Amino acid sequence: MTVTESASTPAQGLHQPYDGLTVVELATDPAGELTGLQFVHLGADVIKIEPPAGSPSRHTGPFVDDIADPERSLAHWYYNGGKRSVVVDLADDDGRGTFDSLLVDADILISTLHPLELRRLGLDLQAVVDANPRLIVVSITPFGLTGPWADYQSSDLVALAVSGLLITSGYDDHTIPPIRPGGDQAFHTAASFAHIAAILAILERDQSGIGGLIDVSIQEAAGVTVELANPYWFYPRGLVQRQTCRHAQPVPTQTAIFQCRDGRWVYFALILADQKPWQALVSWMDSEGVATDLTDPEYDSLEHRQANFGHIQDIVEVFFLLQDSSVAYHEGQARGLPIGILNAPEDLYHDEHLVARGFFVDIDQPGFGIMPQPTAPYRFSALATTPPQRAASLGEHTDEVLAARRGQP
Amino acid sequence: MTLIPTDPSRRPRARRGPLAGVRVVDFCWMGVGAMATRLLADFGAEVIRIEDRNRLDMPRRLPLYKGGDVRSYGEEETNPDPNKGGMFNNYNRNKLGITLNMRSERGRELAERLIGTSSLLTENFAPGVMERWGLTEEHVRGLRPDIIYARMSGFGHSGPHAEYRSYGPVVQAVCGLSHISGLPGREPSGWGLSYMDNQAAYYNSSALLMAILARRRFGQGTDVDVSAVEAGVQLLGPVLLDVAVNGRGTRRPDYPTGNRLDHPAAAPHGVYPCAGVDRWVAIAVFDDAEWKSLVGVLGEPPWTSDPRFDTVAGRVANQDELDEHLSSWTKDRDRHDVMTRLQAVGVRAGAVQDAEDVNEHDPQMAHRDIFFELDHPVIGEARFEGLPFTASHFAADHWRSAPLLGEDNSYVYGEILGLGADEVADLAESGVI
Repeated sequence: MTVTESASTPAQGLHQPYDGLTVVELATDPAGELTGLQFVHLGADVIKIEPPAGSPSRHTGPFVDDIADPERSLAHWYYNGGKRSVVVDLADDDGRGTFDSLLVDADILISTLHPLELRRLGLDLQAVVDANPRLIVVSITPFGLTGPWADYQSSDLVALAVSGLLITSGYDDHTIPPIRPGGDQAFHTAASFAHIAAILAILERDQSGIGGLIDVSIQEAAGVTVELANPYWFYPRGLVQRQTCRHAQPVPTQTAIFQCRDGRWVYFALILADQKPWQALVSWMDSEGVATDLTDPEYDSLEHRQANFGHIQDIVEVFFLLQDSSVAYHEGQARGLPIGILNAPEDLYHDEHLVARGFFVDIDQPGFGIMPQPTAPYRFSALATTPPQRAASLGEHTDEVLAARRGQP
Repeated sequence: MTLIPTDPSRRPRARRGPLAGVRVVDFCWMGVGAMATRLLADFGAEVIRIEDRNRLDMPRRLPLYKGGDVRSYGEEETNPDPNKGGMFNNYNRNKLGITLNMRSERGRELAERLIGTSSLLTENFAPGVMERWGLTEEHVRGLRPDIIYARMSGFGHSGPHAEYRSYGPVVQAVCGLSHISGLPGREPSGWGLSYMDNQAAYYNSSALLMAILARRRFGQGTDVDVSAVEAGVQLLGPVLLDVAVNGRGTRRPDYPTGNRLDHPAAAPHGVYPCAGVDRWVAIAVFDDAEWKSLVGVLGEPPWTSDPRFDTVAGRVANQDELDEHLSSWTKDRDRHDVMTRLQAVGVRAGAVQDAEDVNEHDPQMAHRDIFFELDHPVIGEARFEGLPFTASHFAADHWRSAPLLGEDNSYVYGEILGLGADEVADLAESGVI
């Protein structure tokens, strides 16, 4: 990883998909902030409206050296690189006037304000659209803007619970509650749909000339991100049961994570029905001298394998315990088996594949210095993307943005 | 030959929506690709799924059958009816479907003609398959200079692991999402689903939409390379910076934190038992005002006045005890009753719902009409997951359930490519389509 000027400017001569778009972001959670970040990465000018005390993310850890400070929040830096920070107090009249004037030239407003907060501020998103017919307002709220639960309060955990996703994840032992998968994924799922809906709205506006109001529900975003759980209900009327680190299914299945000699884990789902992966596995085990009886010809028959699944699983467990996780990962893949190492975040910075693709880029973040950030996971041959950039300090662009507003007739 | 229904409502028609007029030659199969192009089909694109009769798409074979018995998805039937599979219907609504044998020269020639009439070409095969058929990026651009050629894969189309095999759980493992999920001191609990099939599909959908937007604005096509692993890394969130900036490794005894929150400090924050088998409620209390509201609903029992619970820091430091007290209050109560009583005073609480709850009983999901039904000639009426957003100025155009195998051969080869009926019959006879 190296820092170069060119890493912070888009490739010469190529357009970015969102060239010329202005986005105003009023985000109080990672759903809104990640949506805004996608627009930064693809070339839009994103103006982040913050209250005088700073966005909630500035008050959320982890912090640099664990010192709580709005200019040291890694949660804030992660989601807000490259946005312009403008302090506007929506609760006072001047602030509201400034906000309204910013929307006049904006293409998109991202809002995560809860319906109760919108009412408290006297802010009606439909009225905002009516006043700015070309504006696209993307609202992201826990349950959507309408309906019997619209005013309910939520969080990432609560959203996953009510969506139907949480019950599918956890351990085989059901005296342990379902366990929330990490990383604010209800918010992230909502961000993915908010981004998709916003681009559709731009495509629509390019044809019809009019914007509108997009109403994203976090509960629903997670609720349609359950893979098999809904179709099992739609079709055979089955309910899936959570199982440790593998697919929830209506019936119990064999374990799919194996511990290796170095204490680390690999994911490998042994599927007996396919002859080729079975042979690849046995030949691999044989080359390590631990295939035991699995090389016997009777294992060529699926019936025999199924009848002895428990025995096979025991030997495979021992097999993985005898080698290091990275060896198991790369050797298994070299033999054509879909095996995955359970990387920890700290492993990723050294992953030879991600390094070769230049996935992480170093940026210079005031208050810390040089630090790596992931690039946008989109690559185009004929379009540029914006590499990661530092996050602005609170209100860094207030004067610049407001002066530009005042300078207009 | 598949019996093709004569129902006029299944005949391809002009589509509505922001993507009307966009034609997609869609080689995607399995989950990720099919979900990514489904979104285009929902909003008006003419998505033509290309299928191989001799190598059925796995969702056509998965044993999720309406009215069928409930079994694991690995227990396939020996010769499944390709038109009966619920997962295929789920992933391929609103698309057209044709069959084509890409191992035949005539088949590849037809594919090239179709690509010449289309705006997008999509695929999620193992690296090298499209090249084997001659469909290199250069060749495709020769057929249609402004085409968008989207390659969806686990690891991306460059780098030393580009050819590694993956599906959702492998991507989740490699990108770190599995490791960061679980109770401290135990094996990871990870994900009970292919979350990264869904999320990679969403990232691919947005990449396709961006490329369409850019072509409308700047008049040029592009190749698109989205790596599911890289999308997964972006989804890890701020923990990535905690390890890089603070040097705090995540292989430590107190990580991950299960249902407790790393940041911000919050307690109680967990999933608590309720009346019934495997019934739970999630409760998340962030500040003192929410704590006081919770205490009010609990009826202010003596333990709640323990000064150790007066502050966020105190509640976090004593959360084992706090969770025991709260569990003893929730354990004989109905999970929805707990949710409703806590929400009435502004405390964040949610019943842990399953697919039956959200489909049949949840008044919010019902109000928002997230699920909808479409008829299918073999399956009958079936339910679908809609989009988790509404728009005031455009809507999804749900016109048809998934195509039967080869259902749209006569429309695509006849009306789009202009072949005569005899010629189409010959192609079918000789196994080209």
